[in-house]
Amino acid sequence: MRRTYLGEFEELVLLMIAILDGNAYGVTVSQEIEQQTGRLVTFGAVHNTLIRLEEKGFVTSELGGATTERGGRRKRLFKVTTLGKSAMEDIQQLRNKLWKLMPDDTLKLSGL
Amino acid sequence: MNQPQAPRWAKTLLRWLHPENTLEEVEGDLDELYAYSVQRFGKRQALLRYLLNVATVLPPFVPRRRGNKKYEQSFSHSPDMLKNYFKIAWRNIVRQKAYSILNIAGLSIGMACSILILLWVQNELSYDRFHTRAGQLFRLTCTAGDFKTAVSAAGMSGGLQSELPQITSGVRISKLIPMLFEAGEKKVEEKRVFYADSNFLEVFSFPLLAGNAATALKDPGAILITEEIAEKYYGNRDAVGKTIRINNKDNFTIAGILANTPSNSHLQFDVIIPMKTMAKWDWDLKNDTWGNFNFYTYLELDEKTAASASARQKLTQQIGKIFKDRGQTIQVDFQLQPLTDIHLHSNLQIDLPGHGNIQYVNIFFVVAIFILFVACINFMNLATARSERRAKEVGLRKVVGANRHQLVFQFLGESLIFSFLSLVIAIGIVFLLLPVFKMLTEKTLAIDLLDGKLLLSLIGIAVLTGLLSGSYPALFLSGFAPVKVLKGKLRVAGGNLLFRNALVVTQFVVAIVLLVGTAVVYKQLDFIKKRNLGFDKSNLLYLPMTGELGAKKQTLKTSLAQNPLTENFTVISDMPTTLATGTTDIVWDGQTIRNQIVFPSLDVDENFIKVFKSQVLAGRGFDRAFSGDSSNYMINEKAMQIMGMNLGNAVGKSLNFGDDKGTIIGVVKDFHFKSLQYAMEPLILRLNKWGGVVMVRTAAGSNEQTIKALEKINQELNPAFPFKFGFLDEDLDNLYRSEQQMGSIFNLFAGLAIFISCLGLYGLSAFMAEQRTKEIGVRKVLGATVAGVVGLLSQDFLKLILIAIVIASPIAWYAMNKWLQGFAYQTTLEWWVIALAGLMATGIALFTISFQSIKAALMNPVRSLRSE
Repeated sequence: MRRTYLGEFEELVLLMIAILDGNAYGVTVSQEIEQQTGRLVTFGAVHNTLIRLEEKGFVTSELGGATTERGGRRKRLFKVTTLGKSAMEDIQQLRNKLWKLMPDDTLKLSGL
Repeated sequence: MNQPQAPRWAKTLLRWLHPENTLEEVEGDLDELYAYSVQRFGKRQALLRYLLNVATVLPPFVPRRRGNKKYEQSFSHSPDMLKNYFKIAWRNIVRQKAYSILNIAGLSIGMACSILILLWVQNELSYDRFHTRAGQLFRLTCTAGDFKTAVSAAGMSGGLQSELPQITSGVRISKLIPMLFEAGEKKVEEKRVFYADSNFLEVFSFPLLAGNAATALKDPGAILITEEIAEKYYGNRDAVGKTIRINNKDNFTIAGILANTPSNSHLQFDVIIPMKTMAKWDWDLKNDTWGNFNFYTYLELDEKTAASASARQKLTQQIGKIFKDRGQTIQVDFQLQPLTDIHLHSNLQIDLPGHGNIQYVNIFFVVAIFILFVACINFMNLATARSERRAKEVGLRKVVGANRHQLVFQFLGESLIFSFLSLVIAIGIVFLLLPVFKMLTEKTLAIDLLDGKLLLSLIGIAVLTGLLSGSYPALFLSGFAPVKVLKGKLRVAGGNLLFRNALVVTQFVVAIVLLVGTAVVYKQLDFIKKRNLGFDKSNLLYLPMTGELGAKKQTLKTSLAQNPLTENFTVISDMPTTLATGTTDIVWDGQTIRNQIVFPSLDVDENFIKVFKSQVLAGRGFDRAFSGDSSNYMINEKAMQIMGMNLGNAVGKSLNFGDDKGTIIGVVKDFHFKSLQYAMEPLILRLNKWGGVVMVRTAAGSNEQTIKALEKINQELNPAFPFKFGFLDEDLDNLYRSEQQMGSIFNLFAGLAIFISCLGLYGLSAFMAEQRTKEIGVRKVLGATVAGVVGLLSQDFLKLILIAIVIASPIAWYAMNKWLQGFAYQTTLEWWVIALAGLMATGIALFTISFQSIKAALMNPVRSLRSE
C-alpha cells in the first residue's frame, strides 16, 4: 500500500472528523479543535486542510440539505473514507510500535 | 432569533474573490462562526476573527476545490437524457399524426427530387472523366467567322504532331457512318460506326475484353466490335476471329471485343474500323489534306502544356500559323477543347450527336436546391405554427434546469430525426421513380447505396435539411420565457408571424417561377414546332439511297415516277436535319474581298421546289428544259443579302462554287435547313448529279400505301439492303429532344414544388382554422355566412400569394428571357404567361386551403363554444 504522508494538523483534522461522526463541517471542526486542544485556528487553515484531505482521498464530502440556519446556505459535510480510516490506523500502530521500542527509563528521564 | 450580521463589505469581498464552487459553504460556515464568536468573545473580538478568517480564505491562501466531474457533467449528454429526447420526439411524431405525415411527406418528396436531380447532374458532370489521361486530351475545333465546328482536316493530326513537340499523340475519328452488317442470318444496319486511327485504344481508355490492344486497328481487314454487337450477331461474346460482311461487299475479321461504351462518354460507338481501311478510298486521307474539314481530331498534350492555359493558348496560335504556312488561305481560328468539356460546353456544328448543356445542369441544380428549401420551409412553418403545443414542455424543461443550448440541441435533434426518417423514405421513392426518370432523361442512372461517396452525400443532404429546417423552430422555441408560458399567456409574437409569412411567400415564389418556366419551355417548343420552316414539312417521307440504289438511280427514278403514290418525289443530297456541309470557297459577281463566310450547300433535283413547296422569289428553279442547269445555282435570300444583291439583279450574276463556274438562276425564299437553334444561314442549291435521299410527298392519308410501295421498289432494286424510311417532321421534332426533355423534367419538378408547398399550406390552414375555432363560432352565432367565414380564412393566405406573384414575376421574366436568348428564334414572353402561372398558383392554393376553411366554417358553433 502507498505510504501516505499526513501532516500533524491534517491528522488532527482527520481525527476530529472521525470524532464528529457525520456532523463534521468547517465550523464544527474548528470548534472541536478549539475545545479539545485549546488551539485557536483560523478558518482558512481548516478549510484548506479539508480540501487537501479530500484531494488525498481520506475524506469525502457532500453538500447537506438546505436549512433555515445560515440564511439557507448548505453545509459541506465530511466523512472519513476507508482509506482515511486505514491511514489513521497505520499511524496509531506505528506509534504504538515505537512506544513499545522505547527503553523504560527514557520517559522517566524526560519526566524529570 | 436575531442573528448578528458580519459587515457587508467583508461579505462582498468574499463573494467577489472566493472560488465560486465553495462559496456557499464557506460563507455559511463563516456566518456561523461569527455568530458563535459574538456569543463567546463579544462583538469586537468576533469581528476581528471574522476578518482574519475571511482573509485566510481569499485567493493566495485558499486552494480551489477541484471540481468533481460527476457533478459538473452536462445533463444533455447523459444517456438517460438522450433516451428521453428520443422518447419525446417519438411521442410527438406519433401523437400528432397528421402533422408528422405532412412534414415527412414534404421532406421526403423534396429530398427524393433533389436526389434524382443530383444523380442526373452528377451523371452529366462525369462525362469522359473515366479516361486515364482525360486531363491531357483535347479536341481540335475551329471557328470561321460565326461558324464553329468540331471537325478538322485529315492531315492536321499527323502534321501538327511532327512539328509541335507539345503534342504527344493524335487520334483521328471519322464522322459516324451507318453501314449494313451481315453475319450468318443477321443483317442489320448499324448507325454507331466510325473509322479511327490505330492508336485509338492507347489514347482513350475503352477497355478491350478480348483481342490484342496493341495490334487491333492496325490491320485494315480487321475491326473492333462491342460486346452488345457480338451478342447480337453471334449470340455470345466469343467472336474474335469470326468474319462479318459490311455493306454487302467487304468481309472483315473481328480483331477484338470492346466493352460496351460507357453511357457517360461523348464517343458512342458499336463498331470501330481501322482508318487504314478508309484511307484506301478516301481522297482526304490519301492526300493528307489540310483544306477539307471532315474528321474529328483528338490531341494528347504533355502534362505541362495541358495544365497551363497560357501554354495551350500559345499552342493554338502555333497551330494557326502552321495552318497558314501550309498555304491555306481561309481565315480559321483553332481551339483546343478539353475532352471533359465536350459533353456540356459544346455548341459546335457538325458534332457527334447527344450533347448536354451546362446551362441545364446549372438550372436543375438550382431547382434541386430550391425544392429542398421549399420542403424545409414547410417544416419550419409547421413547427413554429404548432409551437404552442410544445410551449408548456419548454417551460417545464426550463424550470427544472434546462438551459437554452440544451433545448436547441433537443429541437435540432428532433428535426434531424425527421430528416433521416424522410431520407429513408426518399431513397425508397427514388428507387420507385428511377425507371420513370430514366425514361424521361434517357440516361442510365443508378443509385448504389454501397457507394461511399453517394452515401456520404445522402447523409449530407439529410443533415443539411435537418439543420436548416430545425434551426428556426429550435431558436424560436428555446427562447420562450418559462413564467409566461406556464401561466398560459403565450401570445404568438408578431415577428414570428411575419417570418412565417415570409417563408410562405418564398415557397410560392419558387413555385410560380417554376410554373412560368414550364409554361415558357412548352411555349417555345410549340413555337419551334409550329414555326413556318419555309417549306411544308408534313407528309414528307424519305428513303436514303443505300446499297445499290445509288448506282441504279435512273431505274429508281423511273419506278418512283410510275407509281402515282410516289410520283411526287425529289432526290436531295442531305436531309434538312443532318445538313453538315459548308465552304468558304465562293466567288460571286461584284465580290471585293475574299469570302470568309461559310456557305452550306444542298444538292437538289428539278422537283425540289415543287415537292418541298418552297417559294421561288426571283428567277426560276432547276428545270429539265434547260440543259445548262448542271452548272447553274440557286441561292436563298440570306445568301443574296450577303452577296450584296437584290431580287431584281441577282438572277444572271455569275457564281463560282469551288472550281465550278456557274450562274445564279433563281432566288429561293429562306427556308430552315438546320435546327432552329441556329440563325438562318446562306445556302447554295446545286443540281443533284449523284444521289442522297429520296423525299416523297405523300398524299394525306396514304402514308401506309406509300411506304408499302417504296418497300416494294427497294425490294426489287436493292434486295441486299433492308428497307429504311422515315418521316421528316418526326426527325425535325427529334432535333429539339433536349429541350423537350428539359420541358418534361421542369414540368415534373414544378408540379412537385407546388405539391410540397401545398402540403405546407394545408397544414398551416388547418392550424389557423383550429386556432380560430372560437372566433368562427362567435361569428356564426352572430350571423356570419359560410362563404363569409371561408373568405375570412382564405384572405390571409391570398395576400401572401399575391405578394409572391409580385416578387416572382420579374425573376421569372428575367430568367426565362435569358434562357430564350439561347435560341435564334424565340417565342415572345407575354405577360399573360406569368398571369396564368400566378392564377394557377392562386387557384391551387385556395383549393388546398378550402378543405380546412370550409370544414371550419361548417362546424356547428354550439360545439366550439360549449366547452367554455
